[in-house]
Amino acid sequence: MIVTVTGLTVEVEGRTLVDRVSLRIRPGTVTALVGASGSGKTTTGLALLGEYPPGARVTGDVAVHGTRIGYVPQHPAAVLNPARRTGALLLDLARQQVRDLPRSQRRTAARLRVTAALADAQLDDAEEVLSRYPHQLSGGQQQRVVLAQALLLGARVVIADEPTTGQDALTKRRIVDQLAQVAGRGIAVLLLSHDLDVVRELADEVVVLRGGRVVEQGPGHRILDAPAHPWTKELLAEPRALPYADPEHAGAEILTVSGLTARHRTGGARVPVLSVDRLTLRSGECLAVVGRSGSGKTTLARCLAGLHRDHTGQILLDGEPLPRSLRDRSREQLAAVQYVFQDARAAFDEHRPVLDQVARTAVRLHGAGSQEATAEARRVLTDLGLDDSLVRRLPGRLSGGELQRAALARALLARPRVLVCDEITSGLDPVTRRSLLDLLATLVRRKDGPGVVLITHDLDTAAPATRVAVLDGGEVVEEGPAEQILTAPRHPFTVSLLGASDRWGAAVRP
Amino acid sequence: MNGLRSWIARRLLLGAVQTAAVVLLVFALTEALPGDAAVAFAGDQPDPERIAAVREAMGLDRPAHERLADWVTGLLHGDFGTSLTSGRPVSGFLADGFGPTLLLATLTVLLLVPVGVGLGVLAARHEGRFTDRLISSATLGVYAVPEFALGVLLVSVFALRLGWLPPTAVGYGTGLLEHPSVLVLPVLVLLARPVCSLARLVRAGMIEALAAPYTAHAERYGISGARIRYTHALPNALAPATQQLARTIDWLLCGVIVVEALYVIPGLGTVLMNAVADRDIPVVQGLAVVFGLATVVLNLGADLVTHRLAPRSAVAA
Repeated sequence: MIVTVTGLTVEVEGRTLVDRVSLRIRPGTVTALVGASGSGKTTTGLALLGEYPPGARVTGDVAVHGTRIGYVPQHPAAVLNPARRTGALLLDLARQQVRDLPRSQRRTAARLRVTAALADAQLDDAEEVLSRYPHQLSGGQQQRVVLAQALLLGARVVIADEPTTGQDALTKRRIVDQLAQVAGRGIAVLLLSHDLDVVRELADEVVVLRGGRVVEQGPGHRILDAPAHPWTKELLAEPRALPYADPEHAGAEILTVSGLTARHRTGGARVPVLSVDRLTLRSGECLAVVGRSGSGKTTLARCLAGLHRDHTGQILLDGEPLPRSLRDRSREQLAAVQYVFQDARAAFDEHRPVLDQVARTAVRLHGAGSQEATAEARRVLTDLGLDDSLVRRLPGRLSGGELQRAALARALLARPRVLVCDEITSGLDPVTRRSLLDLLATLVRRKDGPGVVLITHDLDTAAPATRVAVLDGGEVVEEGPAEQILTAPRHPFTVSLLGASDRWGAAVRP
Repeated sequence: MNGLRSWIARRLLLGAVQTAAVVLLVFALTEALPGDAAVAFAGDQPDPERIAAVREAMGLDRPAHERLADWVTGLLHGDFGTSLTSGRPVSGFLADGFGPTLLLATLTVLLLVPVGVGLGVLAARHEGRFTDRLISSATLGVYAVPEFALGVLLVSVFALRLGWLPPTAVGYGTGLLEHPSVLVLPVLVLLARPVCSLARLVRAGMIEALAAPYTAHAERYGISGARIRYTHALPNALAPATQQLARTIDWLLCGVIVVEALYVIPGLGTVLMNAVADRDIPVVQGLAVVFGLATVVLNLGADLVTHRLAPRSAVAA
């Protein structure tokens, strides 16, 4: 045993975040802490590092046997110093290890150690990476740099907090292989995740948490294949397979995109990042747009909503061209195309109650009086499962899933013809995600329900859509009925995207 | 890198335009003042005929735009023109005044940076505790005292009552460096407020940087406290302080009129005051060019440093 946790309890202001958790971590194995958001995964993980939330009352025992612990947080960029080049902490760590050498040799020796650690973390061209600032690296590179720090530290235990959340299938694949390789070096990995594909693939031991309590724990295959606890079963339930939209129900074409080219300004030049020949959406259907990060999915969504002005080509709504910028769109046009953002928390003003912010839509777009607007907002919010006492709070008091529901309610209050959902489920745990997608399906199936453009990198989320458009490098490489695209793809990129997620379960552990 | 170079070029061009605008504005304002160099020259005998004669001799009877055009043509050849009242070249005035001003500014900045940053870091380190409260309230208190009041206070205590230091620089000419005791009081007055604002900015930045996840991460991995403070946290805290420092240096280089007048230091501030009193337009314009350029270059420098410290922030031209 390299880490033993016994009866760990963490309380903050009378709330119990972690309740009598015990677990043991063996060298060279992957232990997964699984649970929905707020189940105490991160609090438990940080307890291993000896870090607790401010004002926490801690009882129980965490014993770490003769090693430092490495930490790879969910957002690796947060632990990289923005004002220093990427190598700053790495060089500091290496310098501590070469103190015994004569002064003249230290520099070279430290440099060698850093390069070796980066190579161990599978980062090629170390020199290039070290000379850059963190914001100039890709998300994957940032993650590998943070992992290299843990390896250079000589950690025998590495905590990986939600390493695959919000990543596309191909990136996920790479992260899984990398963590397997780390475990292969005899390092114990504590995986905090709600991504069950990843857990299934990697975990030797699984600990299922709910509300800070361990509901079930044991060998990975036993827990995942034959869960005993009902909560584990719910967590493991298959993702939604039922179509979001009723195929019989699809109506007339409401949105037509033709000859669209969108540009981004980088430095002085305007670089085309997206070109779409033709893409349509009919009422009562759900069009999923899938692709990797940077493929132009969000740019497409922003063009539709009038948030990205720099484009040529035409976007027709019910046959009428939509002005490029949302400033030039009429109230009716604004109401007709509504946008739900990926980060619901950032989409709400943290200082005003949720209800007031949702009600503003009716005031702004339908000229409703404030009482009337509040009443309607309350009705829609209740309809979406958010009760009155909850929505009168500030956004900080709501969970991620609840806020995303409120964001949907805010968009629905405009009575939109087109609802653009940009990665609205990424970052949510499987249970919350399923309930949000079920909700979306209910909305689409309603009479006069909106047509939905569902931007996602997650193929499970895209599968129940009516049609799927696959974007790669700013081009629609393939488009058609979801079933056809996901079972008989024609384009090599779609094949590789599907391949990356099909390979789940393949043995990669060395 | 190419983008950065073109940005610098654009900024310098913009700076030249700004300086030209300042010069035009100063010219127009000086023209708008009642009286001119001839009236000032005539002094106590304002005989209209005499004034007219002087005016003709100085070329002041020519239209304003002609005089401005002449002056600009000269400037393009590196000639600042000649003073109306003394007939000496303006560049001579600038060179004479620049020495003492530069000396004061250099000394002040050399002390300002370590003291200001040091106090800020110290306060941030002890956030909310006694040291922080002491530094925070002292800096706030000192900041509230204007230069002239502090200057008069220091003179009356240290020069007049205790007799430790000379009250003014009268009689030392431009050789101030040979008599360091003359410089103590003016430098103290110049330091007082900038130290306070710098320390407060550094404190605020440091508190934020010390609470940031990257600092926690470095601590977690066993990097020593001093190393974290000065090499990991401080660079993040310095970006706003750099802008403030540039403004302070600019303020110092443009001749701090109050302090120079109080301690009778023959710097640029004194030159400016005399030139305005004499309506000596070429000298005033020469100073405007120098001050304009100093401001442009210093702000450009500060933006470059900020870009280095906060590389994510885009620089606007």
